[in-house]
Amino acid sequence: MSSGHPDLLKGLSPEEAERTLALGTRRTIRSGASLFHLGDAADCIYLIDRGRIKLTLPMHVMGRDQEVMVEERTPGQTVGWSALIPPYRFTLTATAQLDTELIAISRQALSDYLAGSPECGYKVTMNLATVIGSRLQLFQTMWLREMQRNVELRCA
Amino acid sequence: MELFLMVACMGMFGLGITCMAFGAATGPRRDEAEPATAPEPVKAEIPARFFAKGGDVPITIHAKVPMEVLMFQIENHVRLEQAAAESFIEFPTAEMLHSRTMSPLIQ
Repeated sequence: MSSGHPDLLKGLSPEEAERTLALGTRRTIRSGASLFHLGDAADCIYLIDRGRIKLTLPMHVMGRDQEVMVEERTPGQTVGWSALIPPYRFTLTATAQLDTELIAISRQALSDYLAGSPECGYKVTMNLATVIGSRLQLFQTMWLREMQRNVELRCA
Repeated sequence: MELFLMVACMGMFGLGITCMAFGAATGPRRDEAEPATAPEPVKAEIPARFFAKGGDVPITIHAKVPMEVLMFQIENHVRLEQAAAESFIEFPTAEMLHSRTMSPLIQ
């Protein structure tokens, strides 16, 4: 990786991180191209090495279906953790905003490796919990703010 | 014969009085008879909301906004809302939770 350990591999020794990254394959996504679509089978988790990924959800705007950005992911961050969580379907669409390089690690390869290396597996699992927990906290807060506005509109 | 005609005339007169009374009781009021002069209710313009479906919410404020501009405003709104949410997570207080942003979609 070009800039230290990605968030999924924090706390791992350089050797552990190197072995984990070696499970993956490097992929390049051109600016504007899709990495995955909402509802696709999620077999790989992606660690961003360079570029930027936009995560979107479909929304009906002015009579047309539009992809609305809900998050942006930058180098060092992880996208596609749906690959590690049943039912293994992507819940967002991911598109490269710039030419982007990622390391794609398949669920099967990662699971097999971590099963044989429990200490490394524990650290990766804790990192994954942090990534997912952060997303949950963020969207819970955004949802509550929106609810507050709805209540204010209803009571106005 | 005269008595019969007198009774008939009084009956007709009574019937007429009854019809007039009934009409006055059930007819429209004068102030209801001129709805065209009443002012039309003004529709309140409700700001668009990120998570809400269009449904019954008027979207008149965006009717003249080009799609590109509206999409830019939505993306900007999402970024501002995320920043506000991250600030709350960093310093969780009720004030931070409901702090206002500069988003044009909620002004």
